[in-house]
Amino acid sequence: MALPLDRLRQISRGDKHLARFGRDFACAILVGDGDDDWLIEIDKGEVARVTKGPLIMPRTDITLRASTEAWSKHIEAVPPPGYHDLFAMRRFRHIRIEGDTKLLASYLFYIKRLFALLRPVEAR
Amino acid sequence: MNVEIEPVTGRYMRLDFEGRPHRIYWEEAGQGIPMLCLHTAGSDGRQYRGLLNDPEITRDFRVIVFDMPWHGKSSPPPGFETEEYKLTTKTYSDMVLTVSRALQLEKPVVMGCSIGGRIALVLAMEHPSEFRAIIGLQSGAAIERYYELDWLHHPEVHGAEASAAVVSGLMAPTSPDADRWETLWHYMQGGPGIFKGDLYFYRGEDGDIRDRLGRIDVTKCPLYLLTGEYDYSVAPQDTQAAADLIPGVKYQVMPKLGHFPMSENPDLFLSYLKPVLAQIRGSR
Repeated sequence: MALPLDRLRQISRGDKHLARFGRDFACAILVGDGDDDWLIEIDKGEVARVTKGPLIMPRTDITLRASTEAWSKHIEAVPPPGYHDLFAMRRFRHIRIEGDTKLLASYLFYIKRLFALLRPVEAR
Repeated sequence: MNVEIEPVTGRYMRLDFEGRPHRIYWEEAGQGIPMLCLHTAGSDGRQYRGLLNDPEITRDFRVIVFDMPWHGKSSPPPGFETEEYKLTTKTYSDMVLTVSRALQLEKPVVMGCSIGGRIALVLAMEHPSEFRAIIGLQSGAAIERYYELDWLHHPEVHGAEASAAVVSGLMAPTSPDADRWETLWHYMQGGPGIFKGDLYFYRGEDGDIRDRLGRIDVTKCPLYLLTGEYDYSVAPQDTQAAADLIPGVKYQVMPKLGHFPMSENPDLFLSYLKPVLAQIRGSR
């Protein structure tokens, strides 16, 4: 299953974890889901805009690329070991993480939460 | 008002270690066979709160958990302000032996997790006669570097919160929220650069013991390894790789647990640990 990023703005609105860890967060995240690209723009700690590709020369701070198969496992209600966390996927080469790693480290809780929110409601 | 006072006591010891004065905090509960527990990198002894509060365990075991120097309520030594903290195999190993002797423990069981699980292997290799049994949680002989440590200690990044975010995924998604966040809080409270300094031992050449593991003789001291399936820092296959080099070691994967079994889901962890402790209790 492809990442349901078209629903991310709605899903993330009012999330208490994002509010707790997103102070002053502004960032553009390019997400590669198989052959599809998405651009998530975050401003003042909120998901301001989500754009589905193809993207023309996107300005990005952080790029996360994984196969659709890997992303779909990541967002299962109980993801299997190795797919349950962005860094778990990094360890096992299921994801490529590039860009401003300082920004990534500063807002890592937020960014991990953003993708965990795509899991079924009861698993968030 | 309903108040429950835990049977856990905390005290400080003052002693010289590596030629410098230290003030080390430890907690304990129970009586019987001494069991010295070692926390993970960048955390402290609160990880073992489930063990310290379990009457079935403390009936037969005196559970002792100390905060490593620079961690928890143990202070860094005088002069820390001008140095960068970097743990080494020798310092860590000597520290465990020093605390054990300071408390006059007679052939304790030692149980360590993560960096503590690594030093458990070192102790099994170099000091088997000092211990009744050794338990390594999330033990590996070396680990793969899969992320950069630079931002864990940087003036412009909240290193403790970043460290907590890094380790947050190491737990099983099924572990209870309250225990997972308690585990992360310990990381959020870590001193500047301490998690990174512990990983110096863990990720560096100094701590890589793959070529020496075969020296472990479990007839001198039984060795048990338990690893949570969701850990990707020391994944089950990493512990298996170590276990393959140690004849006679007892290794078990713990389903539905991750890198912090004793802290992320104490009840589930104890269900895996108690049969091991029963074996240790029955042996002499």
